[in-house]
Amino acid sequence: METDKEELRIGVFVCHCGFNIGGVIDVPAVVEYAKTLPNVVCAEENLYSCSSEGLSLIKERVKKYNLNRVVVASCTPATHEPVFRKACEEAGLNKYLFEMVNIREHSSWVHMHHPKEATEKAKDLIRMAVAKASYLEPQIEPELEIKPSAMVIGGGIAGMTAAMSIARQGFNVHLVENEAELGGMLRYLYKLQPTERDASEVLREAVTAVKANSNIHLHMSTLVQEVKGFIGNFGVTLQKKDSNEPEQISVGTIIVATGAEEFKPVGMYGYKENENVITEVELEQLLKKGELQEPKKVVMIQCVGAREKTGRTYCSRICCMVALNNAMLLKKLYPDVEISILFRDLQTYGEYEDFYLKARENFIDFIRYDPDKTPKVTSKPDGKLVVTVYDAYLDAEIEMDSDLVVLSAPLIQHEDGRKLSSILKVPLGPDGFFLEAHPKLRPVDFASEGIYVCGTAHGPKNVTESIAQAYAAASRAAIPMAVRKIRAEAVKASVDPEICVGCDACVVSCIFNAIEALPFGQPHIVEANCKGCGVCAAECPMGAMQLIHFKDEQIVAAIEALLKPKKLTSSSESFEPIVLCFACQWCSYAAADLAGVSRIQYPPNVRILRVPCSGRVDVLHILKAFLNGADGVIITGCLIGDCHYIDGNVKAKSRVDVMKKSLKALRVDPERLEIGFASSSEGQKFATMMTNFVEKIRKLGLNPLRVKEGGD
Amino acid sequence: MYKIVTKRELVPHINLFEFSAKEIAAKIKPGQFVILRIDEHGERIPLTVADADVEKGTITVVCHEVGKTTKQLGKLKEGGHILDLLGPLGNPAEIEKFGTVLCIGGGVMVAPLCFQAKAFREVGNKVIGVLGARTKSQLIFEKEMREACGELYVATDDGTKGHKGLDFIKNLLKERKIDRVVAMGPIVTMKTVSELTRPYDTPTIVNVIPIMVDGMGMCGACRVTVGGKTMFACVDGPDFDGHQVDFEELMTRLKMYSPEEKLAFIFYEKGRRSL
Repeated sequence: METDKEELRIGVFVCHCGFNIGGVIDVPAVVEYAKTLPNVVCAEENLYSCSSEGLSLIKERVKKYNLNRVVVASCTPATHEPVFRKACEEAGLNKYLFEMVNIREHSSWVHMHHPKEATEKAKDLIRMAVAKASYLEPQIEPELEIKPSAMVIGGGIAGMTAAMSIARQGFNVHLVENEAELGGMLRYLYKLQPTERDASEVLREAVTAVKANSNIHLHMSTLVQEVKGFIGNFGVTLQKKDSNEPEQISVGTIIVATGAEEFKPVGMYGYKENENVITEVELEQLLKKGELQEPKKVVMIQCVGAREKTGRTYCSRICCMVALNNAMLLKKLYPDVEISILFRDLQTYGEYEDFYLKARENFIDFIRYDPDKTPKVTSKPDGKLVVTVYDAYLDAEIEMDSDLVVLSAPLIQHEDGRKLSSILKVPLGPDGFFLEAHPKLRPVDFASEGIYVCGTAHGPKNVTESIAQAYAAASRAAIPMAVRKIRAEAVKASVDPEICVGCDACVVSCIFNAIEALPFGQPHIVEANCKGCGVCAAECPMGAMQLIHFKDEQIVAAIEALLKPKKLTSSSESFEPIVLCFACQWCSYAAADLAGVSRIQYPPNVRILRVPCSGRVDVLHILKAFLNGADGVIITGCLIGDCHYIDGNVKAKSRVDVMKKSLKALRVDPERLEIGFASSSEGQKFATMMTNFVEKIRKLGLNPLRVKEGGD
Repeated sequence: MYKIVTKRELVPHINLFEFSAKEIAAKIKPGQFVILRIDEHGERIPLTVADADVEKGTITVVCHEVGKTTKQLGKLKEGGHILDLLGPLGNPAEIEKFGTVLCIGGGVMVAPLCFQAKAFREVGNKVIGVLGARTKSQLIFEKEMREACGELYVATDDGTKGHKGLDFIKNLLKERKIDRVVAMGPIVTMKTVSELTRPYDTPTIVNVIPIMVDGMGMCGACRVTVGGKTMFACVDGPDFDGHQVDFEELMTRLKMYSPEEKLAFIFYEKGRRSL
């Protein structure tokens, strides 16, 4: 299995990190131990491995001993792996032949009062890394060319802003709009809050600028029919509505700015039954055209079809401000009009609070209604309306005559947006809006490289927010186009067609559309789309799909190296629980690091094995761990909803549930297996999780399978 | 108990079995399937029938070793027995004189497709066959298909034999008058074929075998969305209009038990001791 069957020559470098590691762990003893491990030809200690002296020593030893694998036991790879990988490359060794062991954040800093156990743990972790290193393979990182042109889908204010921003940076932009004119929702709005600027004025300026820019190619009345390829080179088929011949363009990046539409609350509060019941957007159009007859009494109802118990559960964010704005405009136009706003909660954040106070000063009446006792709108024979609402403060029903009822309905995803989601293979969230790669860290990126989102396609927003997000998306899209080339990670899925049976479990499991099924079932990996999470490898029933650098043989080698020497000869022997913790390289590994940085102590029984995503953890790995005698196995991942690969942690959880049932059949207590989630800021939570789990395992006692065969 | 009258390895990991099952053989028609169970702890697996010999009282199935049960089945020898064989299940394929029928088969499903191709020809259709697999070494039934179809094309995903992929059938659809297309194979094969025929409005029939339990419309495991309606493949199918089937959902549903399947396979393949 080893590369080229060359003789393995592994060098191990153990860092003191001053007193940080050396103050707790007996580094010389660890070095002596490392020398005894298979294929290790050199083991050394460093005061500071990452110092120029430390790095020179590593490079010098690589040459002197002709090392073909390097293991450094020091701090967290999150910060220092690039440093050591670079040193390896400088010494002429492929950087994928380097393996890092974290004995600072994961040992000396979290077991400060247990030097003996911390030293033992360092030895175990190094043994695991050496075993994995034996199976490492050199990799080449492929380079991708990026076409310096973008496609912006949607010619509303967000799309126009993004297109302008990209065009001004000197790139070509194809702006695709499905209607015959630019402007989107902005065309229907009247005056924008909070400045009362005319929407049509804002629109005119934007449209003029877009049309005047020679870098922008407009595709009006055009739909995106098909998108193939990946970042750098997307092949797009456009279909003009009045033409039979589709048009082909190719672009390096794509921005989705398809907007949203106002929900039409047909059947609610007499909408579409009485013509005096309208929505806020319809009110703005009447105001804009000057077609509104002076009303005496206007009732506005908030949260119509929004914040529901199921379906549209979300708050549409902008409606409170829209209602306030329109109410104030009405007051200005017709000072005698009476206005009541019926609301559930007024969410006038930030500066809009002033707006609300001003509305009160202008005698706009606010009445809170209970979502369980929604207002009622009835029509009188003369067409006038009566609104009844239960006012909790008065504990009474109020009845109001009204000649205009205006409903605040939420923005919703439209049908074209849904279609586009499947064409681009980018996800929609539970609210139906486009879902970004990460809610905190990657707010305008899609999980698929080279595709970005802005404006109300991503969720309800006002014009200012849409513009800000459009600039953000444009600047994200400009990065690869400016660099022209990107280096892709070598950690990718890879399939062995000899073992593959063509079941396409990998195709279904890949959320990034990085695996296509060819017509007769052969999976084909689109490397540019692969993020390296390894979910497909864990789902593959045959083990034909593997994740480079985290192959089954590499992970299993580490597991066996940890556990085989820990076997006991009889069940009566006294034992210390051995807990194997799979940690995803993002949040949960960072949480473990933070526990270390914060010196939060937890029992030294835990051995952390880094995987790209909790979703990479295969039932095979868990099985191997228990059969080799692990007393407990805990898988840790990002918080649900925060997974860096969208839902790898959810898949891990469902696998754990399945595995628990099967453990019963092995007579291993299912309680020995657990999955936990922590964000990168939850060092304390991670430590508590480990403490509680080790305590639980201690109570459960020895895993019977840890006893050597024949010894029990 | 049902006897294995014949077992033949067609290519590595794909086996043909002829079971002695007189009652089933007397009734089963192309397009229908049987559910078998190897032993009393066995999983029930649906297999589409690839032939029936009324006189000998035997039925034929072809099975690819893709998991625990199929692997276990592959280990059985000629003369051996399986515990249960239930059938005929599902509705027979609609065999009428349509004119020209294009029969496209992928992987092991080429075998039951061949059974249909013969039937189509017998009632007077002109039959064009497409024999496909992921790669050359997985192609089966070439001789049989050549006999059953007046005209045969070969295709593979990797292009190691015949056409690469299925795009070439566009030309057939354009240049020839095809009255009906029948696709049997992996879901992606049936999906690809349906997408290719959609612009030509050629009636396209696909044979859908999702996860099944009882095969008689009771459990609902084999549900499939056809034209927005929920259907049970076992009693409403297994043949459906390919232009109406929600293939994406079908693929996802088929993988519902992947972790369980993988575990079962690891246990079976490696055995507990050697792990």
